[in-house]
Amino acid sequence: MAFGFGAKIRRTRSGDYTVDLETWERDLLRSLPGQLRDLLASDDPALERLFPPAYLDDHERNDEYRRLMRTDLTDHRLSSLAVLEATLDEKRLDDAQLTAWMGALNDLRLVLGTRLEVSEEMLEVDEDDPRAPGFALYSYLGYLQETVVQALSSAL
Amino acid sequence: MTDTKTAEAEVEVAEPEQETRLETDRPWIVIVWNDPINLMSYVTFVLQKLFGYSREKATKLMLDVHHKGRAVVSSGAREKAEMDVFRLHEHGLWATMEQPD
Repeated sequence: MAFGFGAKIRRTRSGDYTVDLETWERDLLRSLPGQLRDLLASDDPALERLFPPAYLDDHERNDEYRRLMRTDLTDHRLSSLAVLEATLDEKRLDDAQLTAWMGALNDLRLVLGTRLEVSEEMLEVDEDDPRAPGFALYSYLGYLQETVVQALSSAL
Repeated sequence: MTDTKTAEAEVEVAEPEQETRLETDRPWIVIVWNDPINLMSYVTFVLQKLFGYSREKATKLMLDVHHKGRAVVSSGAREKAEMDVFRLHEHGLWATMEQPD
């Protein structure tokens, strides 16, 4: 477990990472950044999870925080998506690139999870449930994110 | 001849400094709230990465978030706390700041 044998994303001795994803996985990831970019440009309420409040009791300060930070938060997200897109087919990534993957995957999970209204206890969803395809994607992204976090954590 | 004027000037400058110090002395705390989406391993990793906490300390904070609903992850002056909140928001965590009495 400590060395992540068999894990699809692993840290090498030289400090970079090998990425062993199958074609269908890379194709799936390929389909996602464009959708999130469109979403970031929209008014969709699921977006608000990406821009939470900083102050719970001070509306004035919170409005100021949101006004000042929204662009920076958006830019940071767009930058992570750009790196994911550009390195999707790579078999090796450096620390900065894998960290961007982690950020992009997390943003995707946040938006998708908010849309699906997932709860902590939700482990699976009925085949007939209209949320099933979305949930399958959400589960996959969670598994991939876990793999990425384990790989990056091994460097700390 | 200069003594009186100097003394008055010193008194005038001292008072505003006193008031400012009282305002900014009260620290702000940064709270991370539980959410159903972020992975436990991810939250732990982010706390290590952003604050330099050991894995043990970061894990303990994450478990507090998970079981108690929230945990204080840092504190400091307002600008520093806001920066911490921003960096947590960048990582998709649900963080807020407040100034306890």
